[in-house]
Amino acid sequence: MSQSPLLEVRGLRAGYGQINVLQDIDLEVGAGEVVVVLGANGAGKSTLMSAISGLIPHTGEIHVDGKPVGNPRPDEMLKHGISLVPQGRGTLTALDVKDNLRVGGTNLGSKKQVEEEMDRWFTIFPRLAERRDQVAGTLSGGEQQMLAIARALMSKPRMLLCDEISLGLAPLIIQGLFETLGKVSAESGTALLLVEQNAELALDIASRVYLLEVGAVASSGTAASFRDNNNIRQAYLGY
Amino acid sequence: MDIFLSRLFAGMTSGSIYVLIALALVVVFRSSTTINFAQGEFALFTAYVAWWLTERGLNIWVAIVPVVILGFIMGALAERFLIRPVRKRDETAILIVALGLFTGLNGLAGWIWGSDDKVFPTMFPSSEGTYFSVFGARLHYDALFVWLFTAATVIGLVLLFKKTSLGLEMRAVATNPESAALCGIKVGRILTLSWGLSAAIGSLAGVMLVPTIPPGQLNLASMFHVLIFASAAALLGGLDSIKGAVVGGLIMGVGLAMINGYVSFINGSFSLTFALILIVGVLTIKPTGLYGTRRLERV
Repeated sequence: MSQSPLLEVRGLRAGYGQINVLQDIDLEVGAGEVVVVLGANGAGKSTLMSAISGLIPHTGEIHVDGKPVGNPRPDEMLKHGISLVPQGRGTLTALDVKDNLRVGGTNLGSKKQVEEEMDRWFTIFPRLAERRDQVAGTLSGGEQQMLAIARALMSKPRMLLCDEISLGLAPLIIQGLFETLGKVSAESGTALLLVEQNAELALDIASRVYLLEVGAVASSGTAASFRDNNNIRQAYLGY
Repeated sequence: MDIFLSRLFAGMTSGSIYVLIALALVVVFRSSTTINFAQGEFALFTAYVAWWLTERGLNIWVAIVPVVILGFIMGALAERFLIRPVRKRDETAILIVALGLFTGLNGLAGWIWGSDDKVFPTMFPSSEGTYFSVFGARLHYDALFVWLFTAATVIGLVLLFKKTSLGLEMRAVATNPESAALCGIKVGRILTLSWGLSAAIGSLAGVMLVPTIPPGQLNLASMFHVLIFASAAALLGGLDSIKGAVVGGLIMGVGLAMINGYVSFINGSFSLTFALILIVGVLTIKPTGLYGTRRLERV
């Protein structure tokens, strides 16, 4: 068994144009681990996700399985087994549900594998199965989020990054999504790195937490210790 | 009746060419959200190459193969080395590069082959007696061939987009390039292929076009009008719709033939004005065109 964590981030800096959002981020996620990054609006959570997945360039180091990966494009990062559910879902609105999932399976070897994997997600998300031939742009927000998650998992990644999947959804739907994610992660050993403003449900399935403040890691620890910490609970859980 | 049919046939033939050039514009617009104004000049340059090859004794049917391949390579190289370096900046930069290609290719063709008219070989038999009689109107073989070639190209494109994984990747990039990249699609490669495919379609159109515009000779201005008509057609149909390109192209072709034929106070030079009025009209009234989903943000 390998000594190195699945994902290791050292001194990561990233931003947009001249503006640096992230300052020297250090972060680790082990194989199969569920980690949540908490932080207020503008703390740099989405920037962190974009940088790790290769959507924006970064300085500093990203290691996968202990090996530096440089500044990969998103399709190269996916080859390393790291897949992102982007903020706003990134639905391929003009394509139907099946084609969205097929695109998610671009990296799979054969058409047969794509169909098998698609069937698997239709079993996990029956709502998507019902709407398999519908144009994705006409799905409800919750359905589009299911689709985004299923699509990102079609490539059988070893690690799934989720950027604010709860945004704009009803509490009951969010709860369902987190339960499914927790189950999928436990069953197939997929590591999760969740970025969330609404921390409560994310803390339920996470084992470790990073707290991001103004582009830097303010603190980190186990999910349990974060729940017990009064200040953090008040600031991010609201009770 | 026979005069009406003759005009209809003529309109469908020129319309077919507009369909092909409009398709070429649509293929690029779907992937890059830009109108490739150099499209006509790609086709012009490869038409000159076709002429040059036939002057060297090659049959036009044989010459068309290397010509279409050359078109593909030119389009792909233009995307990779001229468009991609500036595309991150903004759409205006892409437009300027396309205009540069437009004048550059035209100038290059003139420099290599001179500005005198070239007698272009016909691909299809076109002399006295090579026609069917349809209700007294003549349907020439060459017109029929142009229709068939266009129909085959349209069917081929539809199958490519609907049935192949490359087509699926192209549609994904057209809808949301960022998501496509996150799904493992090499977006750059898809853009290069799209530009190549588009220029290849244009090359095919160019070779078929020249014999259909009187007097059937190739010169440096051959593509100007066609590009404007085809742009109007693509805009009318919707810039990201294959169906739109087909419908728009045929409306342009048949519409212009009828207007020029039946409205006596209008002469042929009104066609361009009509196309420009149509462009402005579509942009103001229905920017997405008949079947399109996305509008042109900037010209």
